[in-house]
Amino acid sequence: MPVAASAIYFLNLRGDVLINRLYRDDVGGNMVDAFRLHIMQTKELGTCPVRQIGGCSFFYMRISNVYIVIVVSSNANVACAFKFVVEAVNLFKSYFGGAFDEDAIRNNFVLIYELLDEIMDFGYPQNLSPEILKLYITQEGVRSPFSSKPTDKPVPNATLQVTGAVGWRREGLSYKKNEVFLDIVESVNLLMSSKGSVLRCDVTGKILMKCFLSGMPDLKLGLNDKIGLEKEAEIKSRPTKSGKTIELDDVTFHQCVNLTRFNSEKTVSFVPPDGEFELMKYRITEGVNLPFRVLPTIKELGRTRMEVNVKVKSVFGAKMFALGVVIKVPVPKQTAKTSVQVTSGRAKYNASMDCLMWKIRKFPGQTESTLSAEVELISTIAEKKSWTRPPIQMEFQVPMFTASGLRVRFLKVWEKSGYNTVEWVRYITKAGSYEIRC
Amino acid sequence: MALSGMRGLSVFISEIRNCQNKEQERLRVDKELGHIRNRFKNEKGLTVYDKKKYVWKMLYIFMLGYDVDFGHMEAVSLISAPKYPEKQVGYLVTSCLLNENHDFLRLAINTVRNDIIGRNETFQCLALTLVGNIGGRDFAESLAPDVQKLLISSSCRPLVKKKAALCLLRLFRKNPDVVNVDGWSDRMSQLLDERNLGVLTSSMSLFVSLVSNNHEAYWSCLPKCVKVLERLARNQDVPQEYTYYGIPSPWLQVKTMRALQYFPTIEDPNTRRALFEVLQRVLMGTDVVKNVNKNNASHAVLFEALALVMHLDAEKEMMSQCVALLGKFIAVREPNIRYLGLENMTRMLMVTDVQEIIKRHQAQIITSLKDPDISIRRRALDLLYAMCDISNAKDIVEELLQYLGTAEFTMREELALKAAILAEKFAPDLSWYVDVILQLIDKAGDFVSDDIWFRVVQFVTNNEDLQPYAALKAREYLDKPAIHETMMKVSAYLLGEYSHLLARRPGCSPKEIFSIIHEKLPTVSTPTISILLSTYAKILMHSQPPDPELQNQIWAIFSKYETSIDAEIQQRAVEYFALSKKGAALMDILAEMPKFPERESSLIKKAEDTEADTAELSAIKSRAQQQASNALVVTDQHPANEPPQVTQLGMVKIPSINNLENNHVDQEVTQTNGIMGEVEPQNGDILGDLLAIEGPPGVSGTETLTEEGALALAPVGELENAVKPVIDIAERFRDLCVKDSGVLYEDPYVQIGIKAEWRGHQGRLVLFLGNKTTSSLDSVHAVILPPSHLKLELSSVPEIIPPRAQVQCPLEVVNLCPSRDVAVLDFSYKFGTTLVDNKLRLPAVLNKFFHPVTLSAEEFFPQWRSLAAPPLKLQEVVRGVRVMSLGEMTNLLNSLKLIVSPGLDPNANNLVASTTFYSESTQSMLCLVRIETDPADRTQLRLTVASGDSTLTFELKEFIKEQLVSIPAASRPPVLQPTIQPISSSDPGALLAGLL
Repeated sequence: MPVAASAIYFLNLRGDVLINRLYRDDVGGNMVDAFRLHIMQTKELGTCPVRQIGGCSFFYMRISNVYIVIVVSSNANVACAFKFVVEAVNLFKSYFGGAFDEDAIRNNFVLIYELLDEIMDFGYPQNLSPEILKLYITQEGVRSPFSSKPTDKPVPNATLQVTGAVGWRREGLSYKKNEVFLDIVESVNLLMSSKGSVLRCDVTGKILMKCFLSGMPDLKLGLNDKIGLEKEAEIKSRPTKSGKTIELDDVTFHQCVNLTRFNSEKTVSFVPPDGEFELMKYRITEGVNLPFRVLPTIKELGRTRMEVNVKVKSVFGAKMFALGVVIKVPVPKQTAKTSVQVTSGRAKYNASMDCLMWKIRKFPGQTESTLSAEVELISTIAEKKSWTRPPIQMEFQVPMFTASGLRVRFLKVWEKSGYNTVEWVRYITKAGSYEIRC
Repeated sequence: MALSGMRGLSVFISEIRNCQNKEQERLRVDKELGHIRNRFKNEKGLTVYDKKKYVWKMLYIFMLGYDVDFGHMEAVSLISAPKYPEKQVGYLVTSCLLNENHDFLRLAINTVRNDIIGRNETFQCLALTLVGNIGGRDFAESLAPDVQKLLISSSCRPLVKKKAALCLLRLFRKNPDVVNVDGWSDRMSQLLDERNLGVLTSSMSLFVSLVSNNHEAYWSCLPKCVKVLERLARNQDVPQEYTYYGIPSPWLQVKTMRALQYFPTIEDPNTRRALFEVLQRVLMGTDVVKNVNKNNASHAVLFEALALVMHLDAEKEMMSQCVALLGKFIAVREPNIRYLGLENMTRMLMVTDVQEIIKRHQAQIITSLKDPDISIRRRALDLLYAMCDISNAKDIVEELLQYLGTAEFTMREELALKAAILAEKFAPDLSWYVDVILQLIDKAGDFVSDDIWFRVVQFVTNNEDLQPYAALKAREYLDKPAIHETMMKVSAYLLGEYSHLLARRPGCSPKEIFSIIHEKLPTVSTPTISILLSTYAKILMHSQPPDPELQNQIWAIFSKYETSIDAEIQQRAVEYFALSKKGAALMDILAEMPKFPERESSLIKKAEDTEADTAELSAIKSRAQQQASNALVVTDQHPANEPPQVTQLGMVKIPSINNLENNHVDQEVTQTNGIMGEVEPQNGDILGDLLAIEGPPGVSGTETLTEEGALALAPVGELENAVKPVIDIAERFRDLCVKDSGVLYEDPYVQIGIKAEWRGHQGRLVLFLGNKTTSSLDSVHAVILPPSHLKLELSSVPEIIPPRAQVQCPLEVVNLCPSRDVAVLDFSYKFGTTLVDNKLRLPAVLNKFFHPVTLSAEEFFPQWRSLAAPPLKLQEVVRGVRVMSLGEMTNLLNSLKLIVSPGLDPNANNLVASTTFYSESTQSMLCLVRIETDPADRTQLRLTVASGDSTLTFELKEFIKEQLVSIPAASRPPVLQPTIQPISSSDPGALLAGLL
């Protein structure tokens, strides 16, 4: 049984209803008051995305400055509900052409109502694919002036589209220049002890594609993952190439990927939808290349002074560089004065986050940077609880680097007309929750 | 407040107010706190102005609900600033941020004290306010004298005095020792002479607290309070600013009346008269007006006055006036006033005998039961429940029944319960009770708990007159097309037991009854089917000679249910089927249920539990209290040192059955008579409960019955075997030998207590014969079989002990000569058809006629030597003595009133004891005892007894020997067995037998 949502609400941060839609009449109209009273105005906000109040369950999610709340009165599939929310947001984004926030909602009431009618029926999720919905919901969102205006489409033939064998692609597309963009985006999650041993480490990655191809092309993607390579070696009856192979876990594909072929030949082949889509997602838990090493030393000198030393080392290739590096070094709540010295970037005490915020705009590979700070604390009347020492958090982006080591070996495009295509491949690694205990 | 000068503060506040959401606000606050921490850290750059500004910010942040855990030092330091603005913020922030347990406050005590004893009134006020808000024990100890000085000083302005009084109140609450009781009664009465009403109100608050702690010391203030009330009531000298909607200072009036309620009574007639005059004036002068505020104020005064009137136990006239006033209130439209009226009426019911007057308003109260406001309905229900007695029970219960139809669901259960309790308690006759309950079940079957119908069954079973009527009623209800399942259960049970009593009426032949019950079978649930099966079995038994057609029908049903999936039904079907083939024996097996032993109604207890209303003086609770006190009065008649045996609680233990054969017969009897006894635990909620609540003793223990032998029939008889004492009689007797009061005997129906007084050779025993059941006990006989040495006179014992009653039977004892023999009480009674006969030993034993004496060495040894040889002095080596230490032995002898004189005997292993014995033949006679123990072998000792009389010496020696040897042993000398009749001088045959 899918979600069976009784209602969906869009609230702003103050708790006012921006827009809502009731799918079933088994919940009352005052649900949102209950949500506001029991969730938004309590400290639990943000701690637990599913809450039960009375006989109803509230699933909520915050996206930019909007809360999306699904109210359910029966036993429902929570994961499905959240997936629905995420997909719906993507759909809205593709209609609005960019941001999804309070203003965007206010500007697009009619469109949202129409979409909400379409994507969920009596509480059951329906087709959420933007490409298809755009065929028959031809309302246009109020776009920001920067996004490109889509080309005029031929007269849509929605029935064929929905019932056809390739439901996600229209026939008869044609582009002057046939291009494929492929991005591998990875985020690294790390928890490291203060002594430098890795406690938990994994990479979640996704492959995003953007296709501007004519006709009905067949694409084939080759990665340096273990299964694919072994299979290939088997078929071609030659020994596996030496070199690094990657073991991917929990791989999920976009619906366009031909799974039978994947199962038999272990190759990713697909007819792509037009435009932007997420081809696959994966996770890697072994053999992760950490981009940064952090060596903290924090000394508490008596009750009112602390000495903080943090050394950060970049361990990726010397030619590469990380962008937007932010290191948050926690300090106690009663911090009064700080004096900080850094070898690169800037560092400042941030009282609202209780940390020293150290920002480095560009961090080249194979280099080292240090922060040393003296922190003075104020005395409090609260009983002297020893400071819990939360972990140091780090944010960064490293272009052209994959923490997993995943590489695209080939991307072949085959179409009846046999035109030439241009393929673009990019890699980027971001910090997920990159934490080092101190 | 000098905020206008502080730009930073107002900017900060406006920024906070402009925050879009909570998160932004938190970020701003955290940033500001970081800033303040930074500024406070470099002490040097901080001007007084900055300090003040940041402390204000801290207070604002704290008021928004954020934790502020620093900066208290700065706040406290501002207290000692010389200027008002700084001082003010210092005091204000300190009293907001800190509480009495913070150590920081110690730093402030001295500064605060300086302000209090200083000359500046504004500073005094600030300091007093701080102490009044957060003063703790430390403050109480160090500041109380100064505050007291301020309060009584004549030079202080009223403003300071007011604050000082309230401050002292706080300190007194924290530490009652700070107010010296002796010194303060005079000062307090001086304070109550105050003319300024503001100061007086504050002082009165203090006074209320003081008298609630100890009213004794403040008697002298009582007339002053009355004076204050008089002044207010007459509206003399009350300034305009203390008049609230024309009422002179209602707060002071209420407080004064509250204070007066702490004094138990008012002795002085003049004061009393004056007070009543005032109260009269309050009662008369209160009216319901339009203005809400005025109403509130005048009602506050009025209800406090009512409470005071109740407290003082005023004359009846005044009470009736109060009730009349309340009656007026409950007729008012305004729901709040009606609520108060009803609640106070309920309160009044507890206090005095105003019930008659309240009854006049019954109609109005019943109308309130239909009020749209549920809290008023509840109050009305409580009040009706509380005011119900025999005279109006019929009306009230009828009203409740009527109301039941329309009451909302949340109240129905409580309502049904209350109706049932009232019906049971105040039933003018039992048939009415049955009517009411059946009606109740009919109207609100869902809300009638099982307890209620169990209770009906119990009543009907225990009252033979009621049985045909109840059966008839049940039969009538069965004619209705759709009846509730509970009704089905009751009817089936009643008809099964008693339908034969109706047999002559038209439409009541066994066959017709069977068919009308059987019609309903398909509609009932499994537990009810079990009851129906029992009913069929009973009907079958009652149709004698058996009607073959009916028999076949019933047999068919039994054999159908023999394969039921429900184990209980299956077992019943199989067993009834087998039993019904027994022919004539069926009559005995399925005889009527025996009477239930009486218990306190479980309903009342349940009513207490379900009492959802938390009103402090709910009617039920007050009733329960009254009942508890009744119970205490009853048990007070029992000897004081017995373990509490409150009969109503009815913790009837299952008698321990030691005779295996008896046990078997018992169980047969049990099983056959109490067919309901074989209840599987899973079905316990139906009949298991019936038995658990009301089950006669002996019914339990049926789990062993499933053996095949259990179905075999044994001759039914010796029912009295079922009645077993619930206490160990032998042990009680032993206890009573050394004590003078306690319980001699107890079984499920009867308890016999005893209380004795002994003077010289005479004694007076009182037997308390208590009937624990609600039906009377017949053919009660108590005969004393006295031994030769005692003259016993038992006053007449009534033939019948009424239900729940206790009969006292005094018994005069005269001791003629020393002997160890024991008197026996032959006690018999009849419960239902059961004859119970018991022979009980009376604790009029030898040692009861001892009088303890303590002898010195000079007195003892001449006596000891003068009684030199047998028979006056006897010596015996006793073996097989129970092992005990010398201390234990001393205690034992002392408890027998043989007083041990320590240190008389040079040998530490020897004991020397003495006592005086009284009897008619010997008069008072000194007895001397010496026990020489052997530390190597504690089981033997040498006993020497001496007295002026040879019989006494012998008897005493034997008596002590018995005590030493055999106290805990089970076997006792045969003389003490009650079943063997002691030799009685009045019975020549026995005498002869004794001689032979």
